[in-house]
Amino acid sequence: MGLAFDLLLAGGLLGLALQVVASRGLFRSVVLFIALGLLMALAWARLAAPDLALAEAAIGAGLTGALLLSAYRALQPAEEAADPGPAALPRWGALAAAVLSGALVAALGWAALGLEAPAASAGREALARLGESGVKSPLTGVLLGFRAIDTLAEVVVLLVAFLGARVVAEPLQRAGPGPSAPGSGEPVLTAPLLRLVVPMGVIVAGYLLWSGGHQPGGAFQAGAVLAALGVLLRLTGRLQPAAATSPAERLALVGGIVLFSAIGLAGAGTASAVLAYPEAWAYPLILAIETGLAVAIALPLTLLFSGSAGLRWRER
Amino acid sequence: MTQAGLYTLAASALAGIGVYGLLARRHLLRRILAVNLLGNAVFLLLVAFARRQPGYVDPVPHAMVLTGIVVAVSATAFALALARRYYAETGLDHLPEDEG
Amino acid sequence: MAELGALSLPLAFFLPLLTALAAFLLGARQAPWLAGIGALATVAAVADAVRRVAAHGPQAYHLGGWAPPLGVELYADGLAALMLAMTAAVALAVTAYAGAYLHGQGQAAERFWPLWLVQWAALNGTFLSADLFNLYVMLELVTLTAVPLVAMAGDRASLGAAMRYLLLALIASLAYLLGVALLYGGTGTLHLREVGELAGAGGPTAVAAALVTAGLLLKAAIFPLHAWLAPAHSSAPAPASAALSALVAQAGVYLVLRLWLWAFPALLSPVVGWGLGGLGAASVLYGSLQALRQSRLKPVIAYSTVAQLGYPLLLLPLAAVPAAASQAWQGAAYFIVAHGLAKAGAFLAAGNVYYSLGHDRLAGLRGLAPELSASVLALGLAWVSLMGLPPTAGFLAKWQLLSGALAGGQWPWAVVVVLGGLLAAGYGFRVLATAHAAAPPGGPVGRPARRLPWRMAATPLLLALAVYLLGVSAVPALRLLGQGAPEALG
Repeated sequence: MGLAFDLLLAGGLLGLALQVVASRGLFRSVVLFIALGLLMALAWARLAAPDLALAEAAIGAGLTGALLLSAYRALQPAEEAADPGPAALPRWGALAAAVLSGALVAALGWAALGLEAPAASAGREALARLGESGVKSPLTGVLLGFRAIDTLAEVVVLLVAFLGARVVAEPLQRAGPGPSAPGSGEPVLTAPLLRLVVPMGVIVAGYLLWSGGHQPGGAFQAGAVLAALGVLLRLTGRLQPAAATSPAERLALVGGIVLFSAIGLAGAGTASAVLAYPEAWAYPLILAIETGLAVAIALPLTLLFSGSAGLRWRER
Repeated sequence: MTQAGLYTLAASALAGIGVYGLLARRHLLRRILAVNLLGNAVFLLLVAFARRQPGYVDPVPHAMVLTGIVVAVSATAFALALARRYYAETGLDHLPEDEG
Repeated sequence: MAELGALSLPLAFFLPLLTALAAFLLGARQAPWLAGIGALATVAAVADAVRRVAAHGPQAYHLGGWAPPLGVELYADGLAALMLAMTAAVALAVTAYAGAYLHGQGQAAERFWPLWLVQWAALNGTFLSADLFNLYVMLELVTLTAVPLVAMAGDRASLGAAMRYLLLALIASLAYLLGVALLYGGTGTLHLREVGELAGAGGPTAVAAALVTAGLLLKAAIFPLHAWLAPAHSSAPAPASAALSALVAQAGVYLVLRLWLWAFPALLSPVVGWGLGGLGAASVLYGSLQALRQSRLKPVIAYSTVAQLGYPLLLLPLAAVPAAASQAWQGAAYFIVAHGLAKAGAFLAAGNVYYSLGHDRLAGLRGLAPELSASVLALGLAWVSLMGLPPTAGFLAKWQLLSGALAGGQWPWAVVVVLGGLLAAGYGFRVLATAHAAAPPGGPVGRPARRLPWRMAATPLLLALAVYLLGVSAVPALRLLGQGAPEALG
């Protein structure tokens, strides 16, 4: 019964992926890709990774989807030319592409299935020594304890993506999702709903952050929720794109990374090594780092969606 | 076949579909979608690996996937920004040498 | 308790990173002097790391105090130390040069500094990290700092070059990650040397190695995956071009050697070695021929990069031949250092031409030697090393490769080394002859439009001189290289 559901799910994933690649309409491909992200989240939940499922649904499907949709809108020519589809490829080209990808599937499938799970692994050691990391969630223990350098480098990746997007930035009126609809045209319920959703979102983010130490959740999910809020506020015009990054925004963009680096480097004196935490302080320090990280994840993502250097609040 | 084995195979097939999309389609947005399909395939493979042994979930592949998701969204966001600017500057939605 | 002494290893990553953050926080006006201080601090950390490796052998640092496979290890052996030192020299030059090159260009400068400094941090991380997944994150960091630098001009050509570079680099990273996923699935570890001990030579390991290698060869622009490099490297502003060719692309080559010699030595059969060496040889010949056909200076240098990136791969077929291994190993490693310094010098000198004239068309360079004498001299000096003539580091590197190939009885590689040098002489002299040619009737086609700041004139010369210094005195560098070298190569 369980396996039948998995079979269906895997089939659905592959069917959607084929459609994403083969469909004639680009818009259809984008929407199907978002659907695929949600299905992927479901598959991960089945594979005992609910925390990853949450992140995939929020970031992989949600935020990536929002970015894709707004890019799709920007890349529309005045009159839509029909996308030629894969048929435009010469037959031998399509054949070569099919052979190459088929070979990859065969080699990868054969290699991956042929691998026997090793008796000892980094993961087993992580579970055995989780107590030393200062947190109770294995995932948080690995991300902020054992392999903290990856997490630090990854938020730098996000900052760099923002800096890179600034280099190739478009003029403000064309950037991001485009100009928001004028205030008069806003549906009646938008304002009261936002008044409800925004504080709730902040509370949810705070809860996710705090709970990350011992159960699924944490900086990434909290950051994703905050970024989703940012996207919502940008779409409804509460946040307006700005041509410059304000000093406060600069501080928020680098603050999380600086805090993480500072605590990490201090570890060489206060604990055993760089990126080690003094035992008694591990939990509060990790919580502080996670708070900084949530902002360091949410703000660049919101700015990347907005396509602007900064954001300014506008009351309605 | 086990659950993990099933998803391992699905991940392999998904990788192939992604690579096919990269080779067969030339619209920039489609290429970026295909890169993301390939990324999803890697993540699915890792999540399936983490679940291979009964009664045990390996947190290390999970951490790799969570890191990978953030890296993927960063790269995608920058790629989309670059594609938009390229389109605004040239009116092209694909790279010129790929015309065939 | 990790030894506090090797602290310079993490600092080599953290110092440029924190400088980048400070430069972003404080904006363009403060960035150049901040970058200068950060650069000097990083150079000090690197110097300490190199000194420790030279005196005490390979240095390991367990981040967070967690030993592998649980944690991420930073590991500096002779090869990594040599790369760190070369990177520090090039980075110092790039930083000094960019300060003058970007002076007065507010927005460009504001964008350049944080990206470049993060790139330096990520490069140091790439050379030091002994963890396959951490390397993936570092590689992405390098890519995402490199592509915006290519796109900085914002015109059609540079945006197209950046777009292609980005898409290919992202595919390359994912191919690499796919291979790493398989390796972890089979061994339960991500640590480079543990993977080497546990992975064995079975079929699944071979698939993983193929994926990882394909990704890295794409990043290193090895034939036939080279097409993206020349447009990208010639579109970037000069200091970025220097960093991309001398450091970023070479980091890919470095990782190919690192992985094949440390993680997959069991798979390095003669057939595989000849295959990878063959790709390197094809790069040497193809890149050189393309360089001969270019009509602008920066693309000539960029195609010469494609050619030069191929040489270090010639080590792989020779590594398993006892008579050849040690010399080929020294040659390949020294080659990366020599190429890095000479290529950075060449690109910065080309940047001076571009800065002064506003273009770099070869036809427009006639009769310009007097005006740009220091830069043309630097270009010429660097080129002597790229050709592989004495008394440069490039000569020593090629000599070792050549002797190794002959001692191992594999003469085709020797032919490639000699032929590559001759072709480099061909495209090099074509540039230099034009610059020294008599001005066409009516004076030079374009008179220098801008005076060159002395810092920009001096930097490429200093880099070129370093190549001669390393050509005359190679013993310290080669002794350093011996620290922690694989037994077969020592």
